[in-house]
Amino acid sequence: MSITISRISKSFSRYPALNGVNLEIETGELIALLGPSGSGKTTLLRVIAGLEFPDDGGSVRFGGRDVTGLSAYKRRAGFVFQHYALFSHLNVFENIAFPFRVLPRRERPPEADIRRRVSELLGAVQLAGFEKRLPPRLSGGQRQRVAFARALAIEPEVLLLDEPFGALDARVRKDLRRWLRDFHERIKRTTLFVTHDQDEAFEVADRVVLIDKGVIQQTGTPAEVRARPVNDFVRGFLDLPPRQNIGKSFFIRNEPATARTSPPAQPLAHDTQVCAGS
Amino acid sequence: MAGVSTINLHNPVPLSATAESSVAKTVLVGLTLVFFSLFLFLPLAVVFQEAFSKGGAAFFRAFGDPYTRHAIWLTLLVAAIAVPMNTIFGLAAAWSLTRFRFQGRWFLITLIDLPLWVSPVIGGLIYVLVFGAKGWFGHWLMDRDIRIIFAVPGIVLATVFVTFPFVARGLIPLMEAQGIQEEEAALTLGANGWQIFLRVTLPKIKWGLLYGVILCNARAMGEFGAVSVVSGHIRGKTNTLPLHIEILYNEYQFAAAFAVASLLALLALITLFLKTHAEWRAERQLHESSR
Repeated sequence: MSITISRISKSFSRYPALNGVNLEIETGELIALLGPSGSGKTTLLRVIAGLEFPDDGGSVRFGGRDVTGLSAYKRRAGFVFQHYALFSHLNVFENIAFPFRVLPRRERPPEADIRRRVSELLGAVQLAGFEKRLPPRLSGGQRQRVAFARALAIEPEVLLLDEPFGALDARVRKDLRRWLRDFHERIKRTTLFVTHDQDEAFEVADRVVLIDKGVIQQTGTPAEVRARPVNDFVRGFLDLPPRQNIGKSFFIRNEPATARTSPPAQPLAHDTQVCAGS
Repeated sequence: MAGVSTINLHNPVPLSATAESSVAKTVLVGLTLVFFSLFLFLPLAVVFQEAFSKGGAAFFRAFGDPYTRHAIWLTLLVAAIAVPMNTIFGLAAAWSLTRFRFQGRWFLITLIDLPLWVSPVIGGLIYVLVFGAKGWFGHWLMDRDIRIIFAVPGIVLATVFVTFPFVARGLIPLMEAQGIQEEEAALTLGANGWQIFLRVTLPKIKWGLLYGVILCNARAMGEFGAVSVVSGHIRGKTNTLPLHIEILYNEYQFAAAFAVASLLALLALITLFLKTHAEWRAERQLHESSR
C-alpha cells in the first residue's frame, strides 16, 4: 500500500517535533528514516502508525484512504518497537497469536488456523520450536524476531520498524540487516524503518529519508544522496558522527537537486523554507 | 546461565564494603529483636492469651452474642462495599495518572495520599459537616428522611475515605515503571481499550493490585477513628468490630473484648501473610517485565 503524508506537524508541549512534513511512499518500498536523535523521525513513524495524532491541517493516507483520524487499532499497521514490547506474561505462541485473539468473534479464524499461521510465522523468522518460551527467556535477537512475527501476523499492508536493530550487538545487527533485506524481497510490504545509523540505512533501504529538526532534508536512493547531498546538514550528517551536528544551522532548498535523477525518488514539495532552530 | 550460578555457589560471597563489624551487627540485630518482641509479638500474644483467659467455652460464647454477630456482619458489609469501590477508583486513578501526561499530575499523585496524613477523626468529621443534621445537606436529607450520619451509609463513606489511597498507591509506581510500550503494541495489533486492559495491563499488575486490595481490606475492617465519629455507636445497628471491642472493654467484659479483638488480630496475621506473598510476586513481575 502506498502512503501519502501531507503537511504533517506535531508539537509536544513546547517544541515542534515535526514541522510540515510531506512524503510519498510507493507500494512495496523499503524506506529508511534517517536522522540524529531528537530529529522527529520516530514521531513521524508513530504518526503513521496512529500512535500519535498530528496537529490540525495535515493528513496521512494509506492507499487512497484518509486514515488521519483513525486510531492505531483500526489502522492495523504492523509496528515493531525499539525494545520489542513483547507481552512478558505471554509465551511466544500467544504473543504472535494476540492479534487473532482480539479479533471480533465472527472474524476470528478457528484455533487450528491460528496454530498453523503462528507456526508459519515462527518458521519464517527461524524460531520454530520456541512456542512455549516466555519473552524474558529469549535473547535480544530472538525477541526482535518474535516482535517481527507478531507484527506480521495480521498481514499488515504497512510495516513500521522503530530502530529495529538499535538494541542489538554489532554482529547480530549485521545478520539481521541482511535478513530484513531478504525478508522484504520475499514479502514486498511497504516498510519504513527508523535509524540513526547511516550504514544501516544505506545498506538496507531502497530510499533514504533524511530528517533533522522535524523537517525532511532530503530523500533519494542511497547512491543519489551520497552523490549529491542537498545541504550542509546532509553533508555533515553523512561525513561526521551524528551527535556533533546538532545545532548547526542550515537552509533547505525548495527542490532537492537529486530528486529527479532516478525513478523511485520522489521530488519533495517543501511548502516553506524552514530556518533551522526557528 | 547455569554455569555462572554454579561458579557462584563455589565462591564465597565477598564481604561488601558496608558490612559492619560482628559486634555492631549483633547489637543491632539484638535491638531490633527486642523492639519487635516488646512492641509487636508480646501484645499480639497477650490478645490471644486474654481471649482464652476464661477458657475456650467463654471464648466461643463471645461470638454467640447477637451484638457481636451484628458487628461482624456490619464490618464485612462495609468492607464489601468500600473495598470494591476503592479498587475501581484506584485502578482508574493509577491508569489515568500513569498513562496520561497533564498539568497537575504530580499534585494529584500527592493528593491521593491525603487520607494517610490527616487524622482519621477528620475523615469522619468532614462527613458530619457535609451530611450531618447541621451540615450542608442536613436539611435536605432530613426532609427526605435519608440518614447518612449515625447510619450505615456514613460508616461506608468514612471507610472509603480512609482506605482510598491503598490500591492507587500500590499501582502507580508499578505502572509507572512498566511503561506503556506493551499497551501501545497491543493497540497496533488491533486491541481496543477494554481488551488492552484485560489482556495486557491487568495480567501485568495483578499482584500489585492484590497487594493494594489486601491492605485496603485490612484497613477497612480495622478502621476505628473515622468510623467512630460518624457511627453514633448504636448497638446492633452501627457498631463495627473495632467499635464493639471498645464498648465491651469499657464495660469490663475483658474476655469477650479480647475474644473479638483476637478476630481482628487474626485478620492482621492473614493480611501480613497474603501481603508478603503478593509483594513478592509483584516484585518478580516487575523484574520480569523490565528484563
